[in-house]
Amino acid sequence: MPLFWLLLCAFILAPCACFLLLAVSPRLFDQGTQWFTLTYLRQSLTGSTVVPVINSLWVSSVAALIGLFVGFPLAWLAARTTMPGRRWVSGGMWLALLLPSWLPAIGWERLVQQDGVMYRIGLDWPWVTHLIMGPFGVTLLLGLRCVPFSYLAISAALNGLGQEFEDAARVHGASRFGALRLIVPILAPALMSALAIGFAESISDFGVAATLAYNSNFTLATYALYAAIGNFPPSFPLAAATAWLLVAAVAIPLALQARALRGRSYAILSGRTRQAVRRRLGRLEAFAAGSGLLVFFLIILGIPGFGAVSASLLGDFGGSFTLTWSNYSALFQQAGLIGPLERSMFYGVITASVTVFLGFIAARLLSARRTAATGAMDYLLLASVALPGVVFGAGYIFAYNLPIMSTLHINLYQTVQLLVIAYIASSLPTNARVLVGSVSQIQPSLRDAARAHGAGAVSAWARGVLPVVSRPIMMAWLYTFCGVFLELPLSQLLYAPGSPPAAIAIEDNLSNYHFGVGMAQAVLAVFIAFASVAIVLGAYRLLAPNGWRRIGTTVRG
Amino acid sequence: MAEPISITSLTKTYPGSKVPALKSVSLDVAPGNFLVLLGPSGSGKTTLLRCLAGIERIDSGSLSIGSRVVADGRSHVPPEQRDLSMVFQDYALWPHLTSLDNVAFALRRRHLPRSECRSRALVMLERVGLSEFAKRYPNELSGGQQQRVALARALIADTGLILCDEPLSNLDADLRERMRVEISSLVREAGATTVYITHDQAEAFALADHIGVLEEGVLVQSGSPEDVYHYPATPFVARFTGLAGELSVRVTGQGSDGTLELTAAGVTDGSVRLPALRPAPGAGGPARGLRPGDDALLAIRPTGIVLLRSAEETPHLSGRVADVAFRGRGYEYAIDLPGLGRLTGVFARHRADRGDSVDLRLDPEGCHLFPAEAAARASDGTGSPAPALTA
Repeated sequence: MPLFWLLLCAFILAPCACFLLLAVSPRLFDQGTQWFTLTYLRQSLTGSTVVPVINSLWVSSVAALIGLFVGFPLAWLAARTTMPGRRWVSGGMWLALLLPSWLPAIGWERLVQQDGVMYRIGLDWPWVTHLIMGPFGVTLLLGLRCVPFSYLAISAALNGLGQEFEDAARVHGASRFGALRLIVPILAPALMSALAIGFAESISDFGVAATLAYNSNFTLATYALYAAIGNFPPSFPLAAATAWLLVAAVAIPLALQARALRGRSYAILSGRTRQAVRRRLGRLEAFAAGSGLLVFFLIILGIPGFGAVSASLLGDFGGSFTLTWSNYSALFQQAGLIGPLERSMFYGVITASVTVFLGFIAARLLSARRTAATGAMDYLLLASVALPGVVFGAGYIFAYNLPIMSTLHINLYQTVQLLVIAYIASSLPTNARVLVGSVSQIQPSLRDAARAHGAGAVSAWARGVLPVVSRPIMMAWLYTFCGVFLELPLSQLLYAPGSPPAAIAIEDNLSNYHFGVGMAQAVLAVFIAFASVAIVLGAYRLLAPNGWRRIGTTVRG
Repeated sequence: MAEPISITSLTKTYPGSKVPALKSVSLDVAPGNFLVLLGPSGSGKTTLLRCLAGIERIDSGSLSIGSRVVADGRSHVPPEQRDLSMVFQDYALWPHLTSLDNVAFALRRRHLPRSECRSRALVMLERVGLSEFAKRYPNELSGGQQQRVALARALIADTGLILCDEPLSNLDADLRERMRVEISSLVREAGATTVYITHDQAEAFALADHIGVLEEGVLVQSGSPEDVYHYPATPFVARFTGLAGELSVRVTGQGSDGTLELTAAGVTDGSVRLPALRPAPGAGGPARGLRPGDDALLAIRPTGIVLLRSAEETPHLSGRVADVAFRGRGYEYAIDLPGLGRLTGVFARHRADRGDSVDLRLDPEGCHLFPAEAAARASDGTGSPAPALTA
């Protein structure tokens, strides 16, 4: 436990706390003369520096609403009706979540920008370019990014919302619509979660901010923070002040949501919850719902996918739509193009393995008896989940660049080690939260029973505990691997010179007008990510004992 | 105003299931009557209640509430137009509404001004003893209080029919008994026809004016609580309404008054001397029933066994005490009968210890005789109404 706390303090708490403290006490870190000042916070809220913050606030608010208004009907149709394709919706949503936001953004960008795929195939629509390459496109893209979050949050609530609340309303005089109106507020926690998560995800997003938004001259707060550090001369205190605003913008809606729900119970699950009955859609209704679903997935995955794949098959210049494999051959022939992908895969494997190991330990500590220390750890990890990646990265740059680090002979700044440590530290909170649910379900008696019946400590763990947590561990590993493989904000801030990870190499190629090669790298990266998921899931299916695979599966009554 | 109910040949099969949940159920309930549908899980009682409520559609047959046919396989009146109310098994109180709003919701169909709805709801909450909890949300109430709010919601609209779906099953034993009395008195005060389902025979006998017993979608017996207890139509009904045990017997003779002489099957040493039994009135009779040489099943109620204290009386059976439980006003025994099985729930005021040999007499009033084939049908799950004989 003390060792674990030391790790948490060194790699999560201290860098972020130092960086945030810098905004009000620059003297503490030799970055100014004042021991306490609100100047930088004030500065971040005035003049041109406040514009990105305001942009982020309104864009994130609208994006969260888009997520809710698209995600809710989709979740309702999938859970409560016979909509065609409903079995595929969840898978599609997970697929969309697995992709980092910058990938669809560059897909759209390459599709609609001048000299992009749209113009090459003869669609001369500058108004589409202006629409997508601007606040509308940025908001739409972030909004669509919120849909999977809303969908998953609301679906979970709908699955638990039995039929009886609706039946009770109908029996006591409410029409079908009246019953629906009555029970929608019961979903308030899920709806509020969807809004809060959508807002928090959008405001802390760096992928769209650094690609589509930046190329559209529409600056968002996360990019402003990055620019404050990246521009010369860097202004760490101003960046820290912007970080405060970002952290507050993420924390406030989450706190308001928690407060709104406090003292109220929306408990709807009981052992006798009656499964809701699906409404059979008429032919026209089914056609409309199915078409809507198809259009949604076309917009969220199909169009950016088409943009990315077609752009990867086009030459960089010239107006014709002539497809070529040259970009893909270049990847394997030219030096330095495939290396970043291999590098990111390596980072992904290392990070996922270490993070899952540490996450499992954290989950065990959290699911043990609640003490002040585990309570504090719980809050720290929870707060870290909500911390924008760019703030995390900025904290690392600042903390590991301090003179005291050289004095202590900790020279990690601009090294691969620091980048991997940052990957691990930023993935750990999510991993711990994901694993704590499964680890809490492990009865100590499972291990004790194995020990009592003659198994050694390792064997008892392997037989009594591993089967229960094997699937969540595998899912956490895959989620971390894919996240790190295509990670952007930390990579952008912390990558070691000469060793760019995949996202940075792709970004570099695109910003240097090597569109074809850059998009080919992106397409190959997505292919590798999905292939890795398929291989790991397939291997688990083939190799894991039958009993392991049965745990957690639904039993048909 | 209380509404009569008429159910005729009602059949219902759930989509995707090959087995009907209800098979040609017919039943009439008089206005103001308290009908309890009794049956184990999966017997179709909840389906029947939900068909009455309009939550489920019926496949065939017809269902009338008052003078109106509400479902007949072709037409289906939606729940909100049936003018009934319902107490749900887990209460189904809307968690985002206060107790007052939950109760007042049921008055919406009366199109009363909002203020009147609220004042009436408050009066109703007062009637169930919860006026001081009007502003509380369901999660701030105990199980019993939630149950009373659900009951108030069902009573407030003054509908002619109240449906209750195992409303006491989530309560502990003490609270269940208190709430049973409250439901019984409040519902009867309201004067509505009530259909109440339960799998607890004690609850059914305590509440009902009329009992319908369901087995695998079939209404196997319908009658007053006394009829169902004293004259069970099938071995299933006898078992479900409480038996101490069963004996396989053979009819060895028949008296001129129709009484049947019995002997325990497989016991030839004379240690078992069963009393002669008379067939139950109006339930088949000797012409359709058992004859000498037939095999039969003797179902024995706990009240049909007397544990003898002395050797003065001639015993019918002898056994050994397997278990004894002190029940306050006496003792409850499990007694092993050599070669015949075990009797449970045998009550006596005096104490005997585990392992003691005891003598037993059977009281013909608490013994029911069934043809062996009816017992076999009941055991293999193909039970259907069968003629019953009783003491």
